[in-house]
Amino acid sequence: MNRRDYLLRKFGLSLVTIFVVVIINFLLFRVLPGDPVRAVVGRNVRISAETQQALREQFGLDKPVFPDQFFDTLGQWAQGNLGVSWSLREPVSDVLMSKLWNTVLLIGLGQVFAIILGVILGLLAGWKRKTAIDVGALTFSLIAWAIPTFWLGIILLAAGSSWFGLPTGGIVSPMNVGKPLYTIIPDVARHLILPTFTLTILYLGEYMLIMRSSILEVLSEDYILTAKAKGMSHWQVLWKHALKNAMLPIVTLIALNLGFTVSGAIYIETVFSYDGLGKLFQTALTKQDYPLLQGAFLLLAVSVIIANMAADVLYAVLDPRVKES
Amino acid sequence: MKQKLLYVLVLAAILLSACGGGGGGEGTTLRFGWIGKPDTLNPAYAFLTESYTVFDLVYSTMVTEAADGSYMGMLAKDWSVSNDGLTWTYHLKDGIKWHNGEAFTADQMAWAINAIMKDPDGWAASANYTGGFAEVTAPDDKTVVIVTEYPIANMDYRVSFLYAVYPPDFKGFTTSEDLQNFTNFAAIGTGPFKINTFDKDTGVLLLGAFADYMDGAPKIDGIVFQTFDNTDAMIQALKVGDIDVVNEVPASAFETVKGYEGVTATAINGRYFNELIINSADPNLDPAPTGNPALADPAVRLAIAHSINKQDIVEVVAQGLGTPGDSIVPPTLGGGFWHSPNIQEIPFDIAEANRVLDEAGYALGSDGVRAKDDLRLEFRLQFPSDSAVYPRIADMMAGWFNQAGMKATPEAVDPDALVAATTPAGDYDLVLWGWGPDPDPDFILSVMTTEQFVEGGWSDSGYHNPDYDQMYLDQQQIVDKAERQKVIWTMQEMVFNDRPYIVLYYEKMLQAYRSDRFTGFIESPLGIESAQSLLNVTAVK
Repeated sequence: MNRRDYLLRKFGLSLVTIFVVVIINFLLFRVLPGDPVRAVVGRNVRISAETQQALREQFGLDKPVFPDQFFDTLGQWAQGNLGVSWSLREPVSDVLMSKLWNTVLLIGLGQVFAIILGVILGLLAGWKRKTAIDVGALTFSLIAWAIPTFWLGIILLAAGSSWFGLPTGGIVSPMNVGKPLYTIIPDVARHLILPTFTLTILYLGEYMLIMRSSILEVLSEDYILTAKAKGMSHWQVLWKHALKNAMLPIVTLIALNLGFTVSGAIYIETVFSYDGLGKLFQTALTKQDYPLLQGAFLLLAVSVIIANMAADVLYAVLDPRVKES
Repeated sequence: MKQKLLYVLVLAAILLSACGGGGGGEGTTLRFGWIGKPDTLNPAYAFLTESYTVFDLVYSTMVTEAADGSYMGMLAKDWSVSNDGLTWTYHLKDGIKWHNGEAFTADQMAWAINAIMKDPDGWAASANYTGGFAEVTAPDDKTVVIVTEYPIANMDYRVSFLYAVYPPDFKGFTTSEDLQNFTNFAAIGTGPFKINTFDKDTGVLLLGAFADYMDGAPKIDGIVFQTFDNTDAMIQALKVGDIDVVNEVPASAFETVKGYEGVTATAINGRYFNELIINSADPNLDPAPTGNPALADPAVRLAIAHSINKQDIVEVVAQGLGTPGDSIVPPTLGGGFWHSPNIQEIPFDIAEANRVLDEAGYALGSDGVRAKDDLRLEFRLQFPSDSAVYPRIADMMAGWFNQAGMKATPEAVDPDALVAATTPAGDYDLVLWGWGPDPDPDFILSVMTTEQFVEGGWSDSGYHNPDYDQMYLDQQQIVDKAERQKVIWTMQEMVFNDRPYIVLYYEKMLQAYRSDRFTGFIESPLGIESAQSLLNVTAVK
């Protein structure tokens, strides 16, 4: 099979997966117990049974789940319309887009720092195996990987706001809300420091550990010995021969992690009151807002699938063996 | 090497520049932190309390609840009701202006009420308040007249939720759905504060003082509302001075917050209560409720009541920040006017519980559980799984019940599933839950009526008592307050004695503010964030 066929097949499979996800999404939320109308308006709110019924009709909940609700939803989606959120009363696609970039900015930054630092630490630890550097980096990474997100976030928030005067939450200071972005970059940066730092620490460990074991494996290969025998310097061996091969597992990890980026780091967003997708998912769930839930899970599924495809494509580029298999 | 050093320096510079600056919100702008944010500023479809906090500041009503629980004029300078209780006449104050400078007139108020009456489905969140209204008119610029189909006892309370919305903003919606989709984020009102900016995504809301407010401008420049998603971060923000007010301090953090320098923390009696629900559903319903039939025995209910140490619950679970409760009408409603003083609390007395059960013929079995014929005193004790307090209460209760020969098995249940199990299925024995009653007792009394035990209804106990139901209907039409009070006292005593609910305790409202920056907050069940309180607040020089 050549590379084009390989990619086409992957693409086709992805489409099928998305379709299956759509159907599961539809059914999943409707199996949940409870009444969406009561959830949307709140349990402790006084509205009459008649008004509740009027809302039920407006949401289409008075019709049977199958076939009416199912085909109504499918028909809507086929036209590229994700519907209107019941709780927020806004088109689902608008709501998702407004949060998507916030999340991508936060998680993207955190990931980039974590990848860079993690790979460097992993390389160092692998290269200086069994030295103090290795033990130190390994201990740090294991701890970082094991720390509960919420706990680390709160500790950093308390320390950062008390000692460095960093903001306690949000994306911008209230006074700067609504101003053009370029005028408030320093403010946004201040708000990003703590959540990004938290994310970096949390992801760093994983990258470092994978990188370390990967580089150790590569360094034991015969061609490394050959390279050393040719008289290449340590750095040349590492850079020209070891790194590229050791990067393969990291690429997979990066792609998978980026896919889940869109689901947002619910904990991080909650700790830092950061207005992103993770929080939106949580709200949609508690409100049983079916249109919003379906849209959000579709976005999540699509991004994971795209990230997986990207990993496959990258593999095909990085690893010549994929072409032949 | 030089290059590396350069990178490190640049990074440090960025970090340092970002760490500097900060603060913000200088002058006399009050910075308010809360969990949650308004989902809409359209009173037609607003269900979150956050929306109503904003309405209270931005909008006005003809009548409003005062800090002492009575009602006072807001847009109205005075009002009266005809002898037959059917015609209410409101005389408006002079010189009332909209935030955009236009003059406010009585026909605009009448229009706003009529809009709800014409489209009750669209005005889903307000329709309850105009039930029974026949006609609303404005005979002149300063007078609004409401004629009702029958006498309405809680008219003041109802009118206190009929906001003077700006008619041009609310005209032209053809369907209920269109009206509800209108978010009204630039609401124009006649209240003491006007909306400068509302960012729906972050929930940041900037209010400015309205200089032309009818009762005189606020003494602060404005208010900034900032949304937090977790209480720890919000409390930290109060501590470091990022915000000035927190309207909900978690009980677990209250002592800590009290110790902060420059912060005043307040605990005042609120309206919220927690109760033990005893399945009281009619056994003849179809499908039949599954509650343990022994619970229908008044002796068993009395024994349960004797086996609950409310004071202990308050001390252990609520950290002392509550008061043991008795009636479903909390003492804070109407400044204490509606709470029955005639209820004799059942003391915590396990020996007495055992005696009552012995006398009723429930013999202690070898497994420590009492039984009479095929009635075993073994109960499910369920509670909503989203609560932090109920698991502990349930454990404490199970321990006490056990000493009286009753076995209760605590079980956390998803709140939605619990709604389905209680109303109207009656598929439970004992449930722990809570209510936040309205300022008027009508709503919390309705929770005990037979007709509310239906799909989408409010009754979870299944209490069915025709006398109570009749009194409920009667009190709705007794305009004379003293007369209505008598009926409402009797209703509370009925519920207390029949025990569909055992009210455990009333929660205190825990709030805090930076007293080194602001002073003048009015502490009342309305909260320090009420319009009356914020109109009184001044900056500390």
